[in-house]
Amino acid sequence: MAVDGLLAVGGILSFVLGISGLILIRHQKLEVIWNKRFAAQILCWMFICKGVANSLYSVGLDTVLTLIVVYGGHFANVVFSGLLVLISLIFPVPVLRTRKQFKFGIGAVLAYIAVSIGVVVFVDITSPLASFAGMYFIPGFIWTLVYLKFRFMKGQENNEEIHGVADVAILMIILMIGHILFSWVGMFTQANYFYFMDLYGGNFLNDYLWSQGLAMAVVFGLVILCGEAYQATQGRIRSTSYMIFAYMSLGVLSHIVYGNTVLTGTDGGPLSGTELGGLSRFQTIWKELTATLHFTMMRPLLGLFILFRYGLIRISEDNEQVGKSTSIILIVVATSALLELVQSLIPLTEMLSAGILGIAIAIGIGWEERSFQSLISDPLRFPIRTRGSYFPELDFDKTEYHRFDRALMVTLPFLLFVSLLLHWSQTIPF
Amino acid sequence: MSDDRSLTFLAKEDDSGKAIALLTVVVVLGLTFHAYSFFVIKNDEILNKYTEPVFSVSFEETSLQGSDSTLIADGETESFQFSRDTFDADASLMMAKISISVSYEETSGQIADPCDEVLAQIPPNGMVADWQHPDNVLSDSNDDCETMNLVVYVYPGFSSEAKQEVGQSAAHWERMWTNSSYGSGVLELQVSVETNAAPGSVLPGSDDTNEEINVQWTVELFEVEVEAAPVM
Repeated sequence: MAVDGLLAVGGILSFVLGISGLILIRHQKLEVIWNKRFAAQILCWMFICKGVANSLYSVGLDTVLTLIVVYGGHFANVVFSGLLVLISLIFPVPVLRTRKQFKFGIGAVLAYIAVSIGVVVFVDITSPLASFAGMYFIPGFIWTLVYLKFRFMKGQENNEEIHGVADVAILMIILMIGHILFSWVGMFTQANYFYFMDLYGGNFLNDYLWSQGLAMAVVFGLVILCGEAYQATQGRIRSTSYMIFAYMSLGVLSHIVYGNTVLTGTDGGPLSGTELGGLSRFQTIWKELTATLHFTMMRPLLGLFILFRYGLIRISEDNEQVGKSTSIILIVVATSALLELVQSLIPLTEMLSAGILGIAIAIGIGWEERSFQSLISDPLRFPIRTRGSYFPELDFDKTEYHRFDRALMVTLPFLLFVSLLLHWSQTIPF
Repeated sequence: MSDDRSLTFLAKEDDSGKAIALLTVVVVLGLTFHAYSFFVIKNDEILNKYTEPVFSVSFEETSLQGSDSTLIADGETESFQFSRDTFDADASLMMAKISISVSYEETSGQIADPCDEVLAQIPPNGMVADWQHPDNVLSDSNDDCETMNLVVYVYPGFSSEAKQEVGQSAAHWERMWTNSSYGSGVLELQVSVETNAAPGSVLPGSDDTNEEINVQWTVELFEVEVEAAPVM
């Protein structure tokens, strides 16, 4: 499967997760604390935005629809990055602690989105103001801080609720920047494959801001790696520790694979500026099996896990069927796409690959049946009783939650319409 | 539950700001290292990346030749058909142009019998080619037994000269010169003969009623080679 195919599958996965997540939230009967409830909605909308962006980019930049792909994909990514900043301000630990602060936060994110899109429309897509400045920095900083506080909280070494907050902070960071962690060694060895990653190319300041975001992602990954390595030496290793170890180890292997080969920039590639031109076939395969796979498939699967495991969406009898269907769709599509990817890299006969696919899906669904109940039945609680000061109680009524959905339901199609207008007017983005 | 609702609560709570201080130091160190690498160590290389790549595009040329002949009766028109199969050209080779020579002699054997009138023409259809090329010669006629040369340029823009192209990718430039639809289809050459009898010819059995037309074709083929100057 080509990168484009993977992007399309990733787009579908993200979109399905986003839409069905919103349906689940609408139909949940159990009460959920305000920051988790908003976080669930934001996460779903983030996946819808990514689904739109990835689906558009999967069309390719070499067609008559290039302008729609470039503008539509960029706009969806702008909304995604705004929502990323917003979710980090309230989840897992709210930085915004009053209704007023929360409203101000939403206003600031809206202003960020408006400025960024205005610059693209009226100035240039390669302008530094449109370069997603702070997209990784603000959430990464907040989540790493939350991780440090809750993982190293004195006297709470065995408190599952406290460590659950640190775990979700790690998972959110991996969800956001996992694909960049595969390149972390390159930052310190000053390798081209790290410093040549750009957004659209051609603007030095823009490229610096983008590269700076990647560097920050690496720094946050390293802080967590060191923290987890220390915890491991103290015999307090957790499943999320293995995840960060795996991602960072693959980063070391990536450095061996990429080495110091001659590379070119991305010129606005479909992976939002994290892919490179000039890779050999083996390097391209490695990139697809690491960064692309995370970007397209791991993200929605991690999102699904976070939504259910940490009680952002509470499943009861009323919405259990939708929840089950969502997880089955995600697992089956991801399994088959992964196998297609392997088939494109390793020449298997169609008969053999169909057989393996059947077994993989059967195992996937079987696993889902067994693990779904344990995933939803006992979601990890946050330490509201013991550390309630971190989790201020705010009251929002249903209409306020619905208003948030409605705003995004209007914003996203409107921005796609703007990209259509830019396509009709043949506005050159670069 | 604490009543502290300030934005700095997370930074200060429990550890008096030690975690945020540590993280800030690490972030500043990381930013400094990255900025030093970006603006000092890798500066030239990153700036070079913006230079549009240059590709050297050259062509390896070959040609194939063949001939055919036929007897055409007075007042008749015969067709010769040419296609990639006729030329037996390798599929990897692109067709640049087709040159066709039409020749004949006066074969009646009569004394003072003038050359016949021969018209050769190529209808601009059938084969996908550069029919608008200004140097195409699609028809000719004569009555002096001179050889007529017809030319059809097939691949638009091909000039056999090596060139330097700036920007895009190697694959783009290779694609530009490997469009095998040019040269597909069938090219038809129509040849008509009008015989001219010798003045005062009275000898029986020596009527000038047809002519043998010889057709020689040369098809020029090419293969593109694209070499990129790597970004250093």
